[in-house]
Amino acid sequence: MTAYGTSRGPYRFWRLMAVGLRTHVLHLSRSGVELVMAVFSPLVYATLAVYLFRAGDHPDRLLQAAVGAGLMGVWSAVLFGAGGAIQEQRWMGTLETLVSAPTRFSLVLMPITFATSLVGLYSLVATVVWGVVVFDVPFAPASPWLLAPAMLVCVVALGMMGILMAATFVLLRNANALANALDYPVWMFSGVLVSTASLPQWTRPITWVLPTSWAARAVQAATGGGEVLRPSLVALGLGAGYVGLALIALVWVERRARSAGTLTLT
Amino acid sequence: MTTDLAIEAVDLARSYRTRTGWLKPQRKTIDAVRGVSLAVGRGELFGLLGPNGAGKTTTIKMLNTLLLPTAGSARILGYDVARQPLEVRRRIGYVFGGDRGLYERLSALDNLRYFAELYGVEPREQLPRIHQLLEQVGLTGREKERVEGYSRGMRQKLHIARGLLHRPDVLFLDEPSIGVDPAAARELRRMVADLVEGGTTVLLTTHYMAEADELCDRIAVIASGTVRAEGTPDELKDRVRKLDVLEIEVHDAIGEEHLRLLRETGGIERATVETKGTIDVVTVHARPSHASHASVLAALGDLRTGKVTTREPTLEDAYLSIVSDAATAGSEG
Amino acid sequence: MTALTRALRLTFHGGGLSYRALFNWTTPPMFIGTLLVSPLFQIFFFVHVGRTLGVADDRFYLLGNAVLATSVPCVYGGIMAVANERRYGTLGAVLLSPRSRGLIWGGRVLPYILNGFVVMVFMMGAGSLALGLPLPASALLGLAQVFVVAAASCALFGLALGALAVRIRDVFVISNAAFTLLILFSGANLPPAAMPHWMSAIGSFLPLSHAITALRALFDGGSTAGIWPSLGGEAAVALGWAAVAYGLLRFFEWRSRANAALDVM
Repeated sequence: MTAYGTSRGPYRFWRLMAVGLRTHVLHLSRSGVELVMAVFSPLVYATLAVYLFRAGDHPDRLLQAAVGAGLMGVWSAVLFGAGGAIQEQRWMGTLETLVSAPTRFSLVLMPITFATSLVGLYSLVATVVWGVVVFDVPFAPASPWLLAPAMLVCVVALGMMGILMAATFVLLRNANALANALDYPVWMFSGVLVSTASLPQWTRPITWVLPTSWAARAVQAATGGGEVLRPSLVALGLGAGYVGLALIALVWVERRARSAGTLTLT
Repeated sequence: MTTDLAIEAVDLARSYRTRTGWLKPQRKTIDAVRGVSLAVGRGELFGLLGPNGAGKTTTIKMLNTLLLPTAGSARILGYDVARQPLEVRRRIGYVFGGDRGLYERLSALDNLRYFAELYGVEPREQLPRIHQLLEQVGLTGREKERVEGYSRGMRQKLHIARGLLHRPDVLFLDEPSIGVDPAAARELRRMVADLVEGGTTVLLTTHYMAEADELCDRIAVIASGTVRAEGTPDELKDRVRKLDVLEIEVHDAIGEEHLRLLRETGGIERATVETKGTIDVVTVHARPSHASHASVLAALGDLRTGKVTTREPTLEDAYLSIVSDAATAGSEG
Repeated sequence: MTALTRALRLTFHGGGLSYRALFNWTTPPMFIGTLLVSPLFQIFFFVHVGRTLGVADDRFYLLGNAVLATSVPCVYGGIMAVANERRYGTLGAVLLSPRSRGLIWGGRVLPYILNGFVVMVFMMGAGSLALGLPLPASALLGLAQVFVVAAASCALFGLALGALAVRIRDVFVISNAAFTLLILFSGANLPPAAMPHWMSAIGSFLPLSHAITALRALFDGGSTAGIWPSLGGEAAVALGWAAVAYGLLRFFEWRSRANAALDVM
């Protein structure tokens, strides 16, 4: 795993992750668009969700509505973060400087996608606070001690999935188009806001392969009751699987990008 | 692996396949670089000159591993650019001109910290190295400001600092002086000269002939994807030194007809016109034995002429002559 | 050329050219992904939410979100029609034109109205087909009227937001925020009974809410003429935003001349 010729590979690995995470969280947190995506939009969705739950059959599950809206925000942040970060770096011209660095590209990408999912965590916190403060939603999670770990699992699992998406986005000049089309389907198929039970049978496999489904299930279980540990583990396992795929894909992707010249817009 | 050559390219070529239109896609293959061979020794400052779209940037991007060559091969310090990209990247720096390539919403310091980590600078050395570079490029005191507020010149300085973080042996400078004011451009030249002094090999592309003349040990002029001429600045100038350069001030408007007459005069190779204030200056490149002042003035006929001077050919004369020869050759073949 | 044909040429030809020059989403992947597929999934998502929570039926969500889909080309397009001039550095050149501002900016809105109309027709067709809902021929005339007015008011709303781009650097913050707000305030996803008063009050000043009301009335068996009051409301909203857009553009143009601050913001 060492990107450098030194014997202290693991130390440098974690250092690279930490410095990269700090850099990209800072950079994302200072972007107006990113904050609208990570904070403002989730609050609007939370408002909508609270009124929908009140109007529907579940006025007692408002906390889940707020958490669900937050999870929607986490996914948006990862989706547009991974796609947008690559596209933005292409616009900014930094993608070339990243690729020309003597560090493996997968190691460069990892902190970027984890940064996007960490920024997505803003939305979970924001929607819950919004629900409690504005809508008097009682903050009484079923497993209060498991909620924070479950949220962390969610961030990590989605960050890992983001790496595979970012890898694909390096290749695609139209990464935005793909990203724009992927938010609603994933919200729907992973049951972040409402359960997938009423969806047709053929959609089950889609639900199962999405780490978002399991991460959402864990967070929702910690909020409304149910098993937290098992879905958390599945989410992490799936995430790790995506990282593995991404690592394999990236070797090829980087070579493809170098031969097709898709790193710049010019 | 030891070799005396820092950069070695053999018949390097790159073509792009493009597709335009979606309903009826038209596929075209564009040959951006068609067989470039270069040999740059260690510690040399090598200039790559050429018109826009000549293939300079594409050549640099193949040498710095960002683009794979479609044919030919290249080695940096003995490492193959296509097969050993990480080995190459560890030893090279890449600085390009323009406004892009930096994290706008971060400070200069944060930009450098991040890239120091990416470029594998030892953790203990990172901060001292960053401060040393900030000092060197003259950004000390402004390093905590966000880059979005930086001027064009400051961004370029930060770019250079970024490219030098890991003390690269070979530095690629792709039009670093674009849009930089004269004072900053001079500082930049001094910095580049210092680097070469310190043993860094530099490959520079630029549009500023004076800059290339002042800095470069050797120059290759590239046009339409191939090297048209190569040598020291003086050698290149010698190519046109065989010709006299005559500058004639003309007080009337000079027409195409006059230029045509001039070009048809025996012994005259090139004639160009440039308007300077209220007068036109005609520059004539003539073979010494053939054209005299008299024959040139005769061709200008009824125009009111002023001062006539003979001057040494400049690198710009040499460059324009090489590029226009290439254009003629290109249109014929 | 007469004054009239010159004005028409500026409006239609100039508007069409600006659409091609400034709308970044005309490439097939972007057009399909962002303007067609994404809103279609939005319909399915809310239909699914509505079914699960038992809030409203499929048709309620189809009609609401089909109209809402026009906000993608119209809001983002209206903003790009001005904001991208800044990005490409051509705003100064446009403002040097001696021609009528109303025609220059007004012409730019037309292609987005057409685009929004096409998007809504696609949503209605594809959505009805996928959800197995009938699309009676008798409703088509009213449908077309609703779509034209909805697209127009949404595009003028976008232009008004775009006017802010003359002053604000990161204008896509506004487009994203406006786009999200319309999901909430247009009433596309909340039945009127479930909407708090303040929300419907705000919604009535924003584009699309009246158009959605009109469309639902039409499908509830209302006559084509019966939807005109609601359509009139939507048209009034459109005129209001047109006035805001024109006023803002003129004001910012004047301000930037006064402060010599056109491209430095």
